[in-house]
Amino acid sequence: MKQRVFITGVGLISFLGDSPALFHKKLCDGNKGMGRVTEFEEQGFASQPGGKVEAFLPEVFLKSKALRPLDRSGRLLASAAKLTLENSNWTSQDLAVRDVGLVLGTMFGSMHTISQFDRQALGGGPSCASPLDFANTVINSAAGQTAIWHKLRGINSTIATGATSGLMAIGYATDLIQSGRQTAVLAGGTDEFCFEAFCGLARAGLLCGPDSTAGCSVPFEKRRTGIALAEASALLMLESAESAQTRGAVILGEVLGHSNAYNPRWKQAAHEADAVIRSMRGALEDARLSPQEVDCISAAANGSIPGDRNEALAIKAVFNGHGEKVLITAIKSMIGETLGAGGALQAIDLLETMRDHAVPGIAHLKNVEPEFASLNFCRKPEFIDTRIGLINAVGFDGHACSLLLSGPPAWGNLV
Amino acid sequence: MDVEVIRTKIKQTISRVTGIDVESIADAASYETDLGLDSLSILEISVEVESQFKFHASDEEMSSLRTVEDAVNLVRKRLGAEVA
Amino acid sequence: MTTFPAVAVTGIGIVTSIGTGRESFWNAILAGHCGFGPVKSFDTRLYDVHIGAEVSDFCPQDYFEDADPATMGRTSQLAIAASRLALRDGSLNLAGIDRNHVGVCVGTTSGEPQYIEKFDDHYMEGRLDRVGREFVNGYPSHLVPFHIAKELELGGEAMMIPTACAAGNYAIAHACDLLRSGKADAMLAGGADSFSRITYTGFARLGAIAPTLCQPFDRNRKGMIPGEGAAMLLLEPTHKAAARGANIYCEIAGYGLSCDAHHMTAAHPEGEGAARAMRLALQQSGIRPEDVNYISAHGTGTPTNDRLETIAVKKAFGEHAYKVPISSVKSMLGHTMGAASAIEAAVCALAITDGRIPPTMHWQDRDSECDLDYVPNTAREHKVRVAMNNAYAFGGNNSSLILTAYSRP
Repeated sequence: MKQRVFITGVGLISFLGDSPALFHKKLCDGNKGMGRVTEFEEQGFASQPGGKVEAFLPEVFLKSKALRPLDRSGRLLASAAKLTLENSNWTSQDLAVRDVGLVLGTMFGSMHTISQFDRQALGGGPSCASPLDFANTVINSAAGQTAIWHKLRGINSTIATGATSGLMAIGYATDLIQSGRQTAVLAGGTDEFCFEAFCGLARAGLLCGPDSTAGCSVPFEKRRTGIALAEASALLMLESAESAQTRGAVILGEVLGHSNAYNPRWKQAAHEADAVIRSMRGALEDARLSPQEVDCISAAANGSIPGDRNEALAIKAVFNGHGEKVLITAIKSMIGETLGAGGALQAIDLLETMRDHAVPGIAHLKNVEPEFASLNFCRKPEFIDTRIGLINAVGFDGHACSLLLSGPPAWGNLV
Repeated sequence: MDVEVIRTKIKQTISRVTGIDVESIADAASYETDLGLDSLSILEISVEVESQFKFHASDEEMSSLRTVEDAVNLVRKRLGAEVA
Repeated sequence: MTTFPAVAVTGIGIVTSIGTGRESFWNAILAGHCGFGPVKSFDTRLYDVHIGAEVSDFCPQDYFEDADPATMGRTSQLAIAASRLALRDGSLNLAGIDRNHVGVCVGTTSGEPQYIEKFDDHYMEGRLDRVGREFVNGYPSHLVPFHIAKELELGGEAMMIPTACAAGNYAIAHACDLLRSGKADAMLAGGADSFSRITYTGFARLGAIAPTLCQPFDRNRKGMIPGEGAAMLLLEPTHKAAARGANIYCEIAGYGLSCDAHHMTAAHPEGEGAARAMRLALQQSGIRPEDVNYISAHGTGTPTNDRLETIAVKKAFGEHAYKVPISSVKSMLGHTMGAASAIEAAVCALAITDGRIPPTMHWQDRDSECDLDYVPNTAREHKVRVAMNNAYAFGGNNSSLILTAYSRP
């Protein structure tokens, strides 16, 4: 019999700060907190939206000067973990007697450190390469560092499926709890903003470019030109009913079901929306829900020309009729595409929506393609009774993941 | 190069790698016992010292560095430094 | 703990420095062949060590029916080769199955390192203009399972678990979970890594690479030898495998995963995390320590790993540790990184089927702290009913997989 999986805490580092409630409020206010990437103009990359969370000071969260062993990814993840543990009232005494797991979703992992390490060796010979940096050249290094920092001795895993990694990590962690292998797991993702990722995505034609055009990186916008690559780190604390009850934890929500699919032929007309369709249908089946029971959708849409269209077509197909009613938001309109952190950020915002019933509008959305104009896009914040929400993650390469959440169950009804 | 300068630069390197304040690093401090460093940090310090003073230590020399003073002495030997 | 439907290993595909294909590989392993030689992938002139275990004479075209191997990195090529070999070995007719229920799960340490290495070369030469779309379309590690799924036309879950040197076990464990929960009807699971100058530089920097030989558990062991390779297992629920008359090598009874939360590159000094993973695996499988009659060690050949691994085995098995043979095929293949534990899982499956266990080669002098039976130098006839496959990774990731003999009811 599958265990139920509850969310008892959240933590995030983002352009819109590190408070879940303020993060949600700023999204509802249409606050486009993203910075701009200006530092690569010399390399021929025009200034455009996105970039690092410049305000991030790891010392504030990790309260230590001995941070050299951690690279930026490790610092981002360990900081988000600190916030999540605090938010879920998980103390160091608890951690001394319980094994909490950690599942990290990331697209690029420690790519920047890998590249730096390699360039040190290329520049000055292998004897110049830093041993501390080498420890961080494994793709799972942020997860390892975070486990060391916070004494997380449960199952520690890293999931890489591209831009869908974070939501996949939450699904993987959900399965660990459902099957009884773990009773408490931190799950979500991180991808640090770095030149290598920016350059790579730019050369692949995926970035929005300078935002002189009206559409730029606005999700579903007819004149969108691509994504704004941004940085964030976000985690959820997932627990079994027994673990949550024993600790007297506050329940923020419940994971009802999840699924994912891959279609390598997604660029062909007959296959374009297939992975997203199967992903959403699979999640609904896993949760034993019908499309009519979904109150709102937190879309993956990020300004990607094919990606947003495929997702919209998929919503039309899966929700068939109800698609015109279910409210669709897309928070990447304000926080950009944060890769590994995306899924958890969407979950955190959705949980806030469950609390205050406010769904953020898709900032700057004006016109959508006629093909999916009938969908109910949330353009300005709306207040609706949200009990069940669907989150999508869509990759750049034919992969999709979907997850269904509900708000907190009625008190006393956890089993 | 003056031995005090060498010592200060080495302590600054240790501080950069470990976060320990320069003032808290005694001249005779042992990496493992006094500063509580692990093997990776000790190796990192040695690599940064090599890079800063521009010499390549042998594996034997690297593994013999156990204290701040060991590092100072190795640098002096390699630079042919005079005692202040 | 809930009990789960059993998972069977029905196909093995393997590409290594000593042999490609199940039969060739197994014969070479039992004969003690070694894959060590001077590194050819890049220039090691500036290094103090020059030895590696690369796969020579690998022809990716032999395993591709759809894609052009030149459009992807070497790790994907090795992984596709191993996957196709596993499918053929398992005689799974994909025409009769819903392909959306057949998935791929791969483990790796470096993903496709050649792409980032080339990026860095361009960077250092001031020629970033040479970086094209191939970088993001080739480098990220998740592309390895995606390439496999595309080449074999599989529509189920495709996932990369890049948990470094324990990744193969993690991938196999996740695949088993998907099969048990009914989310997949068949899975290809394993690990792959191609030779990486970054990895080589790092281990050389740590002084962890042995000059000529990998000698796990030997008193004079000097370190590990980086290598490359791939192994993929075809896994199915046992009842489905039996129903289609598949050849079943063995079953996977369970696994244990734990995290030291202690140090990035050094194991817990008392082998705590590793022992815990072994105990969890035994518990999950419903198997007693004294029922285990072969252990495939992580056995990298570094002074520290082999000593701490021995401590951990003794912690988990007590006195029985002295009765169960434990060997390390890294003595022949070197450390194939993310592929290692998948290759070693295949070794366990073959040992169970064949009734022989591989040796730990180059073992000459007993180390007082490594005093177990490491099957020194010669393969041995040994009836294996329960095998344990151990693997440990940077970040303190510990893993143990339990494989058991299958008896047709």
